[in-house]
Amino acid sequence: MTTLIEPPTSPVEAAPRKRVPAITGAGAQRALLVTARWVGAFAGALALFGILLMIKGANPLDAYAAMFRLAFGQQTSIDEIFIRMAPLVLGALAVAVPARAGLTNVGGEGQIIIGGVAACGATRLLGEDLPGGVLIIGMLLAAVLAGALWAGIAAALRLFAGVNEAISTLLLNFVALNVLLYLIYQSWRESPTGQPATAELVDGAKLPLLTASSRINVGIVIALVLTVLVAVVLTRTRWGFQVSVAGGNAEAARRAGLNVPKLVLSALMIGGALAGVAGMIIFAGTEYKLRDSFGYQIGYTAFLVCWLARQRPFPILLGAFLMATLSVAKDSLQLDSQIPGYAIYVLTALILMAVLGFTTPRKAKV
Amino acid sequence: MSNRKTTALLAGLALIAALSGCASASESGSDVKDDAGKGVTKIGFIMVGPKDDYGYNQAVYEGSQALKADFPDVEILTAENVPEDDTAATTMEQMISKGAKLIFATSYGHLDAAVKVAEKHPDVIVLQQGNTITTDVPPNMGTYFGTVYEPMYLAGIAAGASTKSDKLGYVYAFPIPQTIANINAFERGARSVNPDVETITAATGSWCDPSAQKDKAAALLKAGADVLTQHQDCTATVINTAKEAGAMTVGYHADASALTPDLWLTGAVWNWGPLYKQLVQKVIDGTFVGSEFNANYRVGFKTGTNPFVLAPYGPLVSDDTKAKIEAAKAFLATPDGSPFVGPLKDNKGKEQVAAGVVPTYAENDAMDYFVDGVIGSVK
Amino acid sequence: MSLPVDVLAAGVAGGTSIMFAALGETIGERAGVINLGIEGSMLAGALGAYVVAVETGSPWTGVLVGGIAGAALAAVHAFLVVWRRANQMASGLTVLFLALGLTALFGVKYVGSGKKLDHAFDVWNVPVLHDLPVVGQILFEHNALVYLGFVTVPVVWFALFKTRIGLLVRTAGERAETLTVHGYSVPWLRTLAVTCGGFLAGIGGAYLSIGYANAWRENMIQGKGFIAVALVIFAVWSPVRVMAGAWLFGCALSLGSALQARGYEVNQFLLQALPFVLTLVVLTVIGRRTLSSSPAELKKVFENAETG
Repeated sequence: MTTLIEPPTSPVEAAPRKRVPAITGAGAQRALLVTARWVGAFAGALALFGILLMIKGANPLDAYAAMFRLAFGQQTSIDEIFIRMAPLVLGALAVAVPARAGLTNVGGEGQIIIGGVAACGATRLLGEDLPGGVLIIGMLLAAVLAGALWAGIAAALRLFAGVNEAISTLLLNFVALNVLLYLIYQSWRESPTGQPATAELVDGAKLPLLTASSRINVGIVIALVLTVLVAVVLTRTRWGFQVSVAGGNAEAARRAGLNVPKLVLSALMIGGALAGVAGMIIFAGTEYKLRDSFGYQIGYTAFLVCWLARQRPFPILLGAFLMATLSVAKDSLQLDSQIPGYAIYVLTALILMAVLGFTTPRKAKV
Repeated sequence: MSNRKTTALLAGLALIAALSGCASASESGSDVKDDAGKGVTKIGFIMVGPKDDYGYNQAVYEGSQALKADFPDVEILTAENVPEDDTAATTMEQMISKGAKLIFATSYGHLDAAVKVAEKHPDVIVLQQGNTITTDVPPNMGTYFGTVYEPMYLAGIAAGASTKSDKLGYVYAFPIPQTIANINAFERGARSVNPDVETITAATGSWCDPSAQKDKAAALLKAGADVLTQHQDCTATVINTAKEAGAMTVGYHADASALTPDLWLTGAVWNWGPLYKQLVQKVIDGTFVGSEFNANYRVGFKTGTNPFVLAPYGPLVSDDTKAKIEAAKAFLATPDGSPFVGPLKDNKGKEQVAAGVVPTYAENDAMDYFVDGVIGSVK
Repeated sequence: MSLPVDVLAAGVAGGTSIMFAALGETIGERAGVINLGIEGSMLAGALGAYVVAVETGSPWTGVLVGGIAGAALAAVHAFLVVWRRANQMASGLTVLFLALGLTALFGVKYVGSGKKLDHAFDVWNVPVLHDLPVVGQILFEHNALVYLGFVTVPVVWFALFKTRIGLLVRTAGERAETLTVHGYSVPWLRTLAVTCGGFLAGIGGAYLSIGYANAWRENMIQGKGFIAVALVIFAVWSPVRVMAGAWLFGCALSLGSALQARGYEVNQFLLQALPFVLTLVVLTVIGRRTLSSSPAELKKVFENAETG
């Protein structure tokens, strides 16, 4: 599957981007080279991780085989991959959209939490008696709004006080976490004596399953639809064009008469809204409650997914699929190979390092 | 990416999704059989932290490994660092797919995932450690725990008798009922021998964050505490901080007297082995469903199998204090014995238990107030 | 002791790990490279120092190895962003994941039982100075690593502003093209700066594991590296202001503990969020100023998310 990842070839999608390797005529050979780089990068990462497994006393081939079997050999695992993929896709889109405007959104973690909190808050506000469909729409709207506003704080700080958004979104993650903890330990806690968590979402408001027999909820469909939507908006709308102009060269955009602050604000807020939807999907699709580990590390993983996919919407689907697979296969490391599950972070990082460092021919000038 | 390639990739993903739909047809729920879990050959343990944390999870791990001696034919699967959310269900599912018919979900927050797995697998027994099922207990489930506040009450006696400043420090994570009962029992024990003693509390907001622990422990010492204890999953930092300041330690989870031999008083330590053995035997025999374990099972000094025991004494505990502790222990084992016999006021002055009333284990599991003498707030 | 003195003294002790990391990050950012992986360097430093201190019984060797471990991870970041021109934010987070995984994997033996550190650094009161009223208690009743922190501030300042190599590093962050014209290698200067920064961050981690908490635990840094990155901006890339900022943070952390321990009813979660909110507020207040005085090459990184 990895061999299929390639740089953009569609002129429509690639238009606003810089440094696109042209794949025309003689470019075929170059395309092959790029493919070879990707294959090499993944193979290198797997090989290095294999050495690490050997150091820890496991047979790498057996370990990889067991991971593969566990991830794809049974229905519950495959379902789980698609369940975990949905928030990763949305979290990565939440990075990709602001990136078009030249912004770095490292706040997916917090925006996801706030999205989940807003979804939960919406059901508390609307009450449990409403039809499930109304509640789901209410949760979705609340999550979109809250995610956008949370990211909007960072956008406003950038516009009015010149605070870099990478730093502010990062710091806001920790604030969001404590908002969540406050709610589940105090005001929204289901019972003062039980597990610190909110009450379970009413059955009607849980996201419907795709088929009666699987556990996959419609979250993945929402993620797919939004991926297409984001791709279309970025490449085929005026706003998308303006955002990428502003992201490419803010000064030129300003001289061209574009309202750069508005573009910055909107791009970051749309990112936040997408992450908010991810939080809503986690809340209404799998967790049904807010707990202290709600959304843990999904935002950071999604940030890496976005970079794995070079910030392009459709490749994000593949990146998210890969990361979701790794997170499910992680259990195999413990159960089959007696390697702590944390090791999966190493494999994740190695893959990212290979992709960041070795899939482009660019080098520094010495 | 070209549209053609993208289409091909998405088609690939769709194919996997379709396959997953096919594979699912074989699974369906059915009623729990009376002998569910009989003859179990694989047992899964999930732990919220690392298996060698010198604390909660290590105690679980040691208990799980002790089973190997009693049941040599049983294979033990363990998974560490399993979060307290829906992903725990996946890990349990993986264990079941490997043939486990008995699952121990050993952290308080694993309950929801455990219930979900139990509902889906009527042939598997799922046991949860520490939490309480508030609805009807499903036939293939149970929760179990000891009454850790009983040994903490006894340790409180040692602390109350040893303190010079009449201030004890308690580092905890979050105000959950189990922790609150521990803190209350500790203060009650101390008060039973020293009417002036206070217990000051500080919350770290984490089950194991060493630098937060250091921060809280140092602040408690500066506020005048000369005995420190804790409810944390990892315990070394608080003990070391106390030792450096010349303060005494009451341990939790494990006998850490080796860390601070001169200033060690005593503590509440775990011994899960005997209870795990009872539970596993019941499941192997096929008699779990409907048994006393098929419930919110609690043990204490009254039942004699409390997995919490008092740690060995350090040199500072006098013979007189030891005698008082033995007497208190005997009292707790009587039918009316409890650290919380009324009258019991909370630290806002409100009466919580009327004079002469003995609260039940369940009531103690639901405490949401600090008793008189505890400095701190459950908010 | 009075509450303010307690809070300040605990703030100095608690802020020291952040100070080391932020000093290191200052060097890297002065050369035009931002490193979110500083959090990972701290983790590596914490584990490296703990393992060596336990195994050899020599805490100072531990500190050294902790620094080297931090530098090694920072070198990975430098390689990716300087030599392969990867995106700085993405590379930083990647390095953090690498550190999380590696330290959890290799640190597992040191989490709890068996391998234990008694205590590595004793509190040592500075003669004469610690007798000073108020100031003595706040500044001069700590362990050696805290004092090492005091010394590191002027050393970093001197190295950056009074030495030739410091000038070159700063020029790499301001007008890189002039260096190229004069035949200096910008990539090598940046690699050097980032790696040195990682070394200091590693010492910051070492301080946490063997000078403060006396324990190792996976993910024990808990966002302090991120705070350090923010702090550098907040301190307008000045080592002296970094020190003041780190102490302010330490105080924000210790204020909650001190209030709780004195029986004040304070909200635990509000207190935990305080350091992060505080940073945002300070950044907002001084934001414009920092933007105008940021190293020019760093500004490019901030203003334009490089693709890569």
